[in-house]
Amino acid sequence: MKKIQLSLNQKLALILGILGFLAAFAGSPYTGNTATMNVKELALLVEKQTDHVSVEELADWIIKGRADHRLIDVRSVKEYEEYYIPTAENIPVASLFDAGLQRNEKLILYSEGGIHAAQAWFLLKAQRYNNSYILKDGLAEWKDRILFPSPAENASPEERSAFEKRKTVSAFFGGTPQTGTADTKTTAQIAMPKLDMPSASAASGSAPKKKKKEGC
Amino acid sequence: MNAPFFKFGYFGEETSLIVAFIIGIGFGFFLERAGFGSGRKLAAQFYLTDLTVFKVMFTAIVTAMVGLFWLSVFGIVDLSLVYVSQTYLVPQIVGGLILGVGFVVGGYCPGTSCVAASTGKYDGMMYLVGIITGIVVFGEAFPLLKDFYSATPMGKITIPELVGVSYGLVVFLAILMALGGFVGAEWVEKKFATKVKGVGQ
Repeated sequence: MKKIQLSLNQKLALILGILGFLAAFAGSPYTGNTATMNVKELALLVEKQTDHVSVEELADWIIKGRADHRLIDVRSVKEYEEYYIPTAENIPVASLFDAGLQRNEKLILYSEGGIHAAQAWFLLKAQRYNNSYILKDGLAEWKDRILFPSPAENASPEERSAFEKRKTVSAFFGGTPQTGTADTKTTAQIAMPKLDMPSASAASGSAPKKKKKEGC
Repeated sequence: MNAPFFKFGYFGEETSLIVAFIIGIGFGFFLERAGFGSGRKLAAQFYLTDLTVFKVMFTAIVTAMVGLFWLSVFGIVDLSLVYVSQTYLVPQIVGGLILGVGFVVGGYCPGTSCVAASTGKYDGMMYLVGIITGIVVFGEAFPLLKDFYSATPMGKITIPELVGVSYGLVVFLAILMALGGFVGAEWVEKKFATKVKGVGQ
């Protein structure tokens, strides 16, 4: 039998043809809803607590008007409508992957206490949204420390001046600092501030987000 | 590491410009090495005496396609993050025709004109002047063209979605088309090279 001599072009064409033929049976190239993750890496992240943002940090960013992150409220629509941290957008956990989140943006998640946010964080990490963070202790901490801060009993002068600072932060978000004595704390009617801060959805109309230019 | 690197945040916007610059230089280099810095070579395409442009471009398309397909099947590229530009059927057909006429008349397409200009060819430089003038005119006339520009929008569509067949089958058919095209191109070249003497090379 005569040996068939192939030129380089013919060899490449043959390889292409084989790869193409196999492709027809290789299934969908889209990965879909299943994920594999590096559990060790995630465990280290949890231990180092680098996945947290404190309420003070967040308050500071909002006051400064920083736009390098997206604040995401993973609670239900009803809870969101009652109160949300200014600039937050509402994406309940189940619709997390339909909301068009980008893997290269910084995502800060919060829920009432933090459990749902942590679970959402885990799901996002599994889908390689590497820039996701949890608001530490969630909305409860936000209320305690930002909206309705109360001074420590027998506070030192340093603590008092720090509390004065927190009062202004509280005022910015429409909160009411507590006077501190035990009875006022229990009797005072703690009313949530009215929502006159812009939400992400309300703000999007007036201040369009910078659109990334792509393609040729 | 997973691709696309930029979408996964492996580097920022500034670095992405440097990466784009390097890829652009690479693209220009290989266009030049394929002989596309010469208007004669490109024009020969339309006399059917030299179909190098067709062969190089189709090779690039199928190579990228096969690469993307297999890399994403193995989970190295996340295909859902690869940018797909939107389809506006009628304006894009008209735009394609304008580009085609410019290609035939001027002897270059936008990329190859940059290659020709950077290797010191005057026709390439003139072509670049034409491109920039065209961009300015288009920009200034955009309010008038706006409605047409966004006419017949079809969104982000791909052939597998549109026809409802599997992605891999489209890959296979495109490859068959390319291989058939290469064989056909060689045949056409031979046929016309003997007929038309003195045109082309």
